[in-house]
Amino acid sequence: MVTLTMIARVEDGLPLAASMQEDEQSGRDLQQYQNQAKQLFRKLNAQSPSRCTLEAGDMAFHYLIEQGVCYLALCEASFPKKTVFAYLEDLQTEFHDQYGRRVPTVSRPYSFIEFDTYIQKTKKSYIDSRARRNLGSINTELHDVQRIMVANIEEVLQRGEALSALDTKASNLSSLSKKYRSDAKYLNTRSTYAKVAAGAVFFITLIVYVRFWWL
Amino acid sequence: NPMCHLGSLQIQSTVNRDGFVLVTVLQGLSNRFWSFTCCKLLSLCLCRVFRSTLTSIPQTQSLLNKAKLPLGLLLHPFKDLSQLPVVTSSTIVRCRSCRTYINPFVSFLDQRRWKCNLCYRVNDVPEEFMYNPVSRSYGEPHKRPEVQNATIEFIAPSEYMLRPPQPAVYLFVLDVSHNAVETGYLNMVCQSLLDNINALPGDSRTKIGFITFDSTIHFYNLQEGLSQPQMLIVSDIEDIFLPTPDSLLVNLSECKELVQDLLKSLPNLFEKTMETQSALGPALQAAFKLLSPTGGRMSVFQTQLPNLGVGALKSREDPNQRASAKDIQHLSPATDFYKKLALDCSGQQVAVDLFLLSAQYCDLASLGCISRYSAGSVYYYPSYHHAHNPAQVERFQKDLKRYLTRKIGFEAVMRIRCTKGLSIHTFHGNFFVRSTDLLSLPNVNPDAGFAVQMSIEENLLDMQVVSFQAALLYTSSKGERRIRVHTMCLPVVNSLSDIFAGADVQAITGLLASMAVDRSVSASLSDARDAMTNAAIDSLASYRQSVLTIQQPGLLAPACLRLFPLYILALLKQKAFRTGTSTRLDDRVFAMCQLKYQPLAYLMLMIHPALYRVDDLTDEGALNINERTIPQPRVQQLSVEKLSREGAFLMDAGMVIYLWVGRNCNPNFLTQVLGVPNYTAVPQNLYLLPELDTAESQRTRAFIGWLRDQRPFFPTLHVIRDESQLKANFMQNMIEDRTESALSYYEFLLHLQQQISK
Repeated sequence: MVTLTMIARVEDGLPLAASMQEDEQSGRDLQQYQNQAKQLFRKLNAQSPSRCTLEAGDMAFHYLIEQGVCYLALCEASFPKKTVFAYLEDLQTEFHDQYGRRVPTVSRPYSFIEFDTYIQKTKKSYIDSRARRNLGSINTELHDVQRIMVANIEEVLQRGEALSALDTKASNLSSLSKKYRSDAKYLNTRSTYAKVAAGAVFFITLIVYVRFWWL
Repeated sequence: NPMCHLGSLQIQSTVNRDGFVLVTVLQGLSNRFWSFTCCKLLSLCLCRVFRSTLTSIPQTQSLLNKAKLPLGLLLHPFKDLSQLPVVTSSTIVRCRSCRTYINPFVSFLDQRRWKCNLCYRVNDVPEEFMYNPVSRSYGEPHKRPEVQNATIEFIAPSEYMLRPPQPAVYLFVLDVSHNAVETGYLNMVCQSLLDNINALPGDSRTKIGFITFDSTIHFYNLQEGLSQPQMLIVSDIEDIFLPTPDSLLVNLSECKELVQDLLKSLPNLFEKTMETQSALGPALQAAFKLLSPTGGRMSVFQTQLPNLGVGALKSREDPNQRASAKDIQHLSPATDFYKKLALDCSGQQVAVDLFLLSAQYCDLASLGCISRYSAGSVYYYPSYHHAHNPAQVERFQKDLKRYLTRKIGFEAVMRIRCTKGLSIHTFHGNFFVRSTDLLSLPNVNPDAGFAVQMSIEENLLDMQVVSFQAALLYTSSKGERRIRVHTMCLPVVNSLSDIFAGADVQAITGLLASMAVDRSVSASLSDARDAMTNAAIDSLASYRQSVLTIQQPGLLAPACLRLFPLYILALLKQKAFRTGTSTRLDDRVFAMCQLKYQPLAYLMLMIHPALYRVDDLTDEGALNINERTIPQPRVQQLSVEKLSREGAFLMDAGMVIYLWVGRNCNPNFLTQVLGVPNYTAVPQNLYLLPELDTAESQRTRAFIGWLRDQRPFFPTLHVIRDESQLKANFMQNMIEDRTESALSYYEFLLHLQQQISK
């Protein structure tokens, strides 16, 4: 839901029109967001990107700059960006038609506050149509889920084959490694015997040498 | 450098079309001549907006206590002005420490620095201020309109707004019980709205809505696109809710036909109703819910005691106590439901105006709270009936027209600042005091007056002048945020004789009346009456002891205060404070509301009506306004002595004008002005003078028209014969005469003299 909409002149941050939707939850924070919006307007200049989204906690600011006028909307972070920007563009076309020429000449804040009525009507239509579009998108999402599920099953089937191949390979690996283990053991014992035999031969040679040379 | 000279003072005074004196001061500097003379001249100018009880301020609190006069200001900040300079500036120059707006009474030390006249801090003049757009010159900041005019309006930049300017929102809450339909007021309201629907102040964002109630609450869905308005009835008054989230308050320009359809059909919808109960409290709660997102104005029309739901009231008045010579009970509210609701409304920038049109007791003391704390106004039409009381009908119609079409400001706050050393401690009027000196006014209208009482905290030594500034920040009905600033400067004196010489007796009376109303509600009525008498006794005694060098017998008063005892006596005999004469409790409470709410100019007429002899009007000394000759008869004393059977007398009492015709009145007057052959043919309930082509008739009607033009509300005219019921009302205003419960003027003076010489 769009809580706050503000339109201001870029060069000096002068507010031109605004509309606020107050309800019980947002009351106190709205003041803080409003101040942030005003500060933001002052920071904008000709180099700022023409479309931008700024996150602020669980709300988000979206703005659009066109012809030296900045159109800002504050809504929940989960609100779809496409809808917000479509809404801002709608406001931009209408505002430019009605007041575009007079923007550089005014000096009083909120000179075009009467635009508020159009903002409120547009807001309502976008939220309403958003509801309708939401149903449509839920439908498409459901279809997507269906297709994805179908796709997954196929993948699962393919994966099943791959899995069985993997299984055989794994069992092969296990038997081969067992064999490797027994071979290794056998080799180990053989080498031990060889070592012992070599040791015994050396010892006997030594005794024979000592017996026959020293006596 | 011309700025540094304490050069000569140039004062131009011109009389403009409306007879006001315009004083333009061309160099604002601080020298003794300036401070004493010019201040008084300028304060005279502003006397229609800003008035002080003492035009020479005492130097110390002890001096003020010796004088025994109250020190206070009476203001009429949103008065309709014929000339108001409006300044659009990117910077509004204000003092850095006390935030006072720059005004004609600051002093420029040189071209670049100015000294605040409230806190004496030296501030820098901003670069933009050096250029004067009016004369296209540079380097003369003292010639800018902000420094040339004591009353000025700024267009506020966006720092002065907490939220974007609200649209004009009007909600009408109408009583449709059987009693209400009987009186026929609904026809009048609907007709008035239909006639004035295009003149409601606002722009293309203006919103309007309607709620009607009896024992249930009825809402009207006026959504664009419906073929006719839809009524939605909510009968759960214990837990009121809004039946639909929008389309109850609709954009006026887009749904005008539906609104007009509703207004045409509303009186017929309830023609046959038999409902006798009135659920005012729940209706107000529902209306508050509807208005709280945006703020706006709620107009409530009530014709009986609310007896259902929350906020129900009981009949507390005892008819036998009406003429009580002792204390009057039940002047304070019976329940704080209305005050609490008013405070909630004030927080959401909603003001509630109450129209009470009942014949029975309606506990105005409790109901009035809903307007008092939400900066609304109370209108009272006792015994209103479309057939039996045509004079009230005419008054209601004219008042409604003024109410619907007058200028209005939304979401306003007002702050009154004064020079260091003075402080404001009590406020009088319809508003809510948000912090020490910030008044919250959800609606501000040109017919509201305010008063404040001050005390001298620090001695005003080394000061020749003190200044006061009232700044009203509001949103106009077209969504513009504006600041209206009034500044006044008064000299400081340190002798009692100067204080007495500068006393403004009308302002003192007005302030005493407000203080007495507060005292009657918090303490008792007899306390208030004694306090008023003591005010006269103490101040005149102080004058006698401290100022007079030669002690003479008799009652002596300074020139400024010579009418003080007369006004005090008038207050004591006023409906609000009188005892011993039968006064309905609602009438009394309404008189008290008026004493606190009305601006001083109209209040004085209420307290001390003006009496003229009109059967021998001449063009001698007449005013010539808009090519009409308006005779100016002399004001007579309010005593039966001055009446004569051979004449006809007109009494202008503010809200009502009486034309008393003597029994042996000049037959010329009867035929030429009233259009009747003799005295016995004068109709009983005449409230409109016939438009005859005679010179006398034209003079009389011009005079009455001139009296009526001077005030925003419409006073009814009653032509009274000797046997008329209204003769008692007429005679009650003869304050200089003795009655069985009150002293005559002469006796009162004797009483004062006795008390003073004790």
